[in-house]
Amino acid sequence: MRRITLWMLSTVAALVLMFSYRTSTNSPAPVAAAAVATGTSSGGTSSDGSSSSGTSSGGASSDGAGGTTYTGSTASTRWGDVQVAITVADGKITAVTVPVYPTENHRDQEINARAVPTLVQETLDAQSAKIDTVSGATVTSDGYLESLQSALDAAHLS
Amino acid sequence: MTATATATATATPVHRADPRTTPRWYPDVGGTAAALSLLIVVALWVGNGGVQQLIGGGAEAVSAAGRLTGLLASDLLLLQVLLMARIPLVERAFGQDRLARWHRWAGFTSFWLMVVHIVTITLGYAAAANTNAVAELWDMIWTYPGMLLATAGTLALVMVVATSIRAARRKLRYESWHLLHLYAYLGVGLALPHQLWTGADFVASAASRTYWWTLYGVSAGAVLVYRIGLPAWRNWRHRLVVDRVVPEGPGLTSVYLSGQRLAELPARAGQFFQWRFLAGPGWSRANPYSLSATPHGEQLRITVKDLGDGSSRVAGLRPGTKVLVEGPYGKLTGESYSGGPVVLIACGIGVTPLLSLLGELPYRAGEATLIYRARTEAELAFRGELEWFARHRGVRVVTLLGPRADRPSWLPADLAGRADSEMLREVAPEVAAAHVYVCGPEAWTAPVRAAALAAGVPADRLHTELFAW
Repeated sequence: MRRITLWMLSTVAALVLMFSYRTSTNSPAPVAAAAVATGTSSGGTSSDGSSSSGTSSGGASSDGAGGTTYTGSTASTRWGDVQVAITVADGKITAVTVPVYPTENHRDQEINARAVPTLVQETLDAQSAKIDTVSGATVTSDGYLESLQSALDAAHLS
Repeated sequence: MTATATATATATPVHRADPRTTPRWYPDVGGTAAALSLLIVVALWVGNGGVQQLIGGGAEAVSAAGRLTGLLASDLLLLQVLLMARIPLVERAFGQDRLARWHRWAGFTSFWLMVVHIVTITLGYAAAANTNAVAELWDMIWTYPGMLLATAGTLALVMVVATSIRAARRKLRYESWHLLHLYAYLGVGLALPHQLWTGADFVASAASRTYWWTLYGVSAGAVLVYRIGLPAWRNWRHRLVVDRVVPEGPGLTSVYLSGQRLAELPARAGQFFQWRFLAGPGWSRANPYSLSATPHGEQLRITVKDLGDGSSRVAGLRPGTKVLVEGPYGKLTGESYSGGPVVLIACGIGVTPLLSLLGELPYRAGEATLIYRARTEAELAFRGELEWFARHRGVRVVTLLGPRADRPSWLPADLAGRADSEMLREVAPEVAAAHVYVCGPEAWTAPVRAAALAAGVPADRLHTELFAW
């Protein structure tokens, strides 16, 4: 085999292998068990749902005195999935948890460690999905809003 | 007076197949487009708060610097592709030797910007995440979208740069170097995904993504159209073949080529093509040879000096051999000359494009001087033709013979005691008012240019073509 043929074969082989790698086709990152970020509104008595039962469709579960927890649908973003769960008591959002958000690499962890608590607090303050995205965390914010909206829909809050 | 001028003009075998003059706005368009593209990427960065982050200090400042260098590096990479894409407007505005120089400059600059980009992004992200830089880099390569590809692209570009350092380039065969250089396209292409998917200046903005896709699209399109499509079409249309091969002197061979519809080939005297002779092994390497006779629409002629680099194959070419060309290229043409004194200065085989210019330029008897520099009398070529031009067109031919001077000079050793520009004025007293055409090796061309400028030739009337680049 001539050297040029060998070069071309090796180049093609390297390209094929690289493009089979997950990050090379921009396919979503695998869902890792993410740390749960929780926020509770001051008046609420909700128990920490710790709802790591991440179903991709929204769901609701009652937990007695604290109110009802509605889990939003999973929003796929470029950096990974985002899922939001809200606890509603007396028509008010009393707690917000984010069981799933991108934490695959250091950059995600660093950005979302700042962004997720901000988003949660904004939600509790606004009592709706009409909140600002966090600058520098546009992707997570968009995923958060999408999942939050589906949770709000499930809870029949606008 | 008018009568004389008309008579002379009709008597001269002036042929202007296509008097295409390059509009003066061509260089402006080219330069403005390049500057705009750099401005746009800087504006993107500023628009995303780059300046504030840089002033703010800390990890964010380092990352911001990393983004800016990354943007500039990739923009320069694409500009390099465009510089070498043989776009007619760019070719005619700047000429290939200048483009090749800029390409080399942009190549090394973008490489170092890329290195700075990698280092600063790694350090910035590592500082923000409180990890060590090596771990951060490793994490980025394997988990960030498109980053494995970008890493491979970086390695491809490192290989291209390493093989283009002069010392390495001299050791490599041209064919090997050229094939390795094609990996630059791969490197540029593999860098695209990580910019679009992870580049902070892109994920947020549709406009910037559009801009980037457009720039990539235009670059890829230009390469496909002008480096592949247009030459393929020209070759298919003109079907050049070797007509005959004529020895011209020691180590010199002229090749006459015939083909179809040659009158429609937009070639001018003084231009060159890249030639591939389909005669067995070695055909894949293209060699640049100037037309050594004015293209009259029936035949083309090139004259090749045996330099041992594939040019020796030319002497053995058989009539009927198929020939592939890319071109015509080159700015050493009569497009800005409309009469008056003209001084042509050649060194060695550099006489070939000047010979074809002598046949095309509309000068009158006594207006043209050819200064022909060679080492020995035996190396002077085309004596018969030069005599013809002297007799029938009134061209003054001055030969300067002798070995190279021991200082950088365009003069032979025995005349090097004189100042360069002074000698030029002495040999061609009208030089300051003339159009000056220079062709020869780089080390010789530089002192000629300097001498001509010192003798009062304005830069826009000084036309040069380097022989090797």
